[in-house]
Amino acid sequence: MADSSHEISVDNAIGAANSSQSPSARALSRVEPPQSESGLFSGESVLNILKLIFTGAPLADVLTIIARLVEAQGKGMFCTIWLLDKEGGYVHCATAPSLPGFITHWGRTPVGPDGACCGTAVYRREPVYSTDILSDPLWDSYRHLVAPYGVRAVWARPLFSSEGKALGTFAILYRNVGSPSATDLQLIENASHIVGIAIERHLNEKELRRSEAFLAEAQRLSVTGSFSWRVDTDEITWSEELYRIFEFDRDAPVTLELIGSRVHPEDIPLLNDMIARARGIGTDFEYEHRLQMPDRSVKHVHLVGHGRRDRDGRLVYIGAAQDVTEHRLSEETLGKVRSELAHMARVTSLGALTASIAHEVNQPLSGIVTNASTCLRMLATDPPNVDGARDTARRTIRDGNRLSDVITRLRALFSKKETTFESLDLNEAIREVIALSLSELHRGRVILRTELADNLPLVTGDRVQLQQVVLNLLRNASDAMSSVNDRPRHIVITTEREEGDRVRLTVQDEGVGLDPQAMDRLFEAFYTTKNEGMGMGLSISRSIIERHHGRLWAAPNDGPGATFSFSIPCGLASATGARSLGVIATPAAKDAKSVQGNP
Amino acid sequence: MVRRSLVSVVDDDESVRESLPDLLRELGFSAHAFSSAEEFLTSDYIDQTRCLILDIAMPGMTGPDLQRELKLRRKEIPIVFITAHRDATVRPQVLEQGAVECLFKPFSDTALLNALNAALRVS
Repeated sequence: MADSSHEISVDNAIGAANSSQSPSARALSRVEPPQSESGLFSGESVLNILKLIFTGAPLADVLTIIARLVEAQGKGMFCTIWLLDKEGGYVHCATAPSLPGFITHWGRTPVGPDGACCGTAVYRREPVYSTDILSDPLWDSYRHLVAPYGVRAVWARPLFSSEGKALGTFAILYRNVGSPSATDLQLIENASHIVGIAIERHLNEKELRRSEAFLAEAQRLSVTGSFSWRVDTDEITWSEELYRIFEFDRDAPVTLELIGSRVHPEDIPLLNDMIARARGIGTDFEYEHRLQMPDRSVKHVHLVGHGRRDRDGRLVYIGAAQDVTEHRLSEETLGKVRSELAHMARVTSLGALTASIAHEVNQPLSGIVTNASTCLRMLATDPPNVDGARDTARRTIRDGNRLSDVITRLRALFSKKETTFESLDLNEAIREVIALSLSELHRGRVILRTELADNLPLVTGDRVQLQQVVLNLLRNASDAMSSVNDRPRHIVITTEREEGDRVRLTVQDEGVGLDPQAMDRLFEAFYTTKNEGMGMGLSISRSIIERHHGRLWAAPNDGPGATFSFSIPCGLASATGARSLGVIATPAAKDAKSVQGNP
Repeated sequence: MVRRSLVSVVDDDESVRESLPDLLRELGFSAHAFSSAEEFLTSDYIDQTRCLILDIAMPGMTGPDLQRELKLRRKEIPIVFITAHRDATVRPQVLEQGAVECLFKPFSDTALLNALNAALRVS
């Protein structure tokens, strides 16, 4: 039977339903007449009622059906069901199918010690049976309301939720004086149980709708939408807010194609990459990309997806997408200002630096030139002033030496301070660099993948210097792809153990690649292909790696881009066998073990 | 014998103080060197000085400071500035204040001679 149908077949059925009732109640008019006198609903009718309840039939309809079923169990019974209001002050009659006009006639009764049977049962939290309402004082104020229907006895039982919360009252109004029989009691128990389920379910649904409304409001306020994506069927469900962010028609079914049509053309590779990887490994993902709206405006969306497998092992992503446009725009402005400042600072300090170098050099140079001029003039006189010329030449030599001292001083000033070697986890050092560069990489639309070896041994080195190298290689890789728009901007960072107790790091990009003509000059100081670069990065990087007795090299990829790698020995002890070893200016350097124990 | 014109050199750099007076003498001037503007101001050579070769950047009183001080004292000594800072903005400033020339170190003997000739023509 289709779940969406409210049509049921109840074997212990009831009389004709009022034609003015709802479709679900009307459906009951087709069921068969009553037969059973067991006081129990048959299994099938219970099942059918439950089906009605859980397919969301209106509560009033469900209650009416139950009431009719109960009435069908015995002659002279009128069934009424009362619901407790939110404040708990009254019970309202929700259904009285065989008492015409009853609900308007007697809509509600207060919860209290003398609230007829229906209000009193809730108040006492126990059944209240009035065997004769004509004599029962509980009915003093209400007798006139039921008497016209020829009612003499009323059997009321309070209804409770599974947590014991009062929900209302189930009451049977009976034509004759008397107490309920065992069968009647069984029937009341039975019906009350199902009615309780129906009411509780109704209240839960109301609560759910309310919290859904809250959620929608929260999503609107935080410009965050949620989605689910079933990977095998590409079935996608979206929250309201996500429709708003993407500015899609609320009725349009969401497909990956539709989403793709909104994604900024430059970020399509990013999207494709995300989809491909999400389909593949099924791990959580986090992406940021731009949308291009119909009015050509651009939005930035931050996407987080959590992948899990359903019972059949099929991959489903649950995720959230936040509109971070405002955030990103202000960050971009800030970033621009920051990089301009950095550039200014660099230029300024470089200018100041060259000026002070020029001054330091020009002073003694001036003496040299003056002395040489004097010397020539002394020799040009007739007779030549040889003694004077000799003295002047000596002073020239002395000024030359002085100049040499100046240059030595300058070198000392700009040469790197002493290296601090310690035992370190290269992977961890790399992760720190990545954490620092992540927003920059995001801005550059770079997709970074790390393949860091699990079994990487510790290396002995200068943490900060090695991080500078990694940062430099990462920046270069990112810069090399800044003009790439026809393919994803991938960077892969890999670490691996090498033979001979060494570790290797590679940074692979898919950028513009290397100019074969310029391969030799790559690592020279002041060689650069960048407009803004000073050309110091790789030269400094290489000197750092050499200080670690390692090697830094570059190679073109088979496909687009280039790969830069360095390989360093794990411990300095193992490096003592290496070629072209310089003396390391660290006291502990002779013994790598003591370096590890004494950072 | 024609009395040689006195050219005073004020420079905190020793190599200049040692080398420049010799060259000036070879060029036919009489020369005296001072290591600071203050030393020159407190000396007896101000009135005899026909031309002043003055370093711009010096600790304490700078070359332009001395130029101003001499103006205040109404000592109209022609000044040739010399500087190791190749700063393009300094030269027009000192020339505007009345300096005859501003030479960047290192300078040639001919450049120096031309400047001195110009200075002495002024005086």
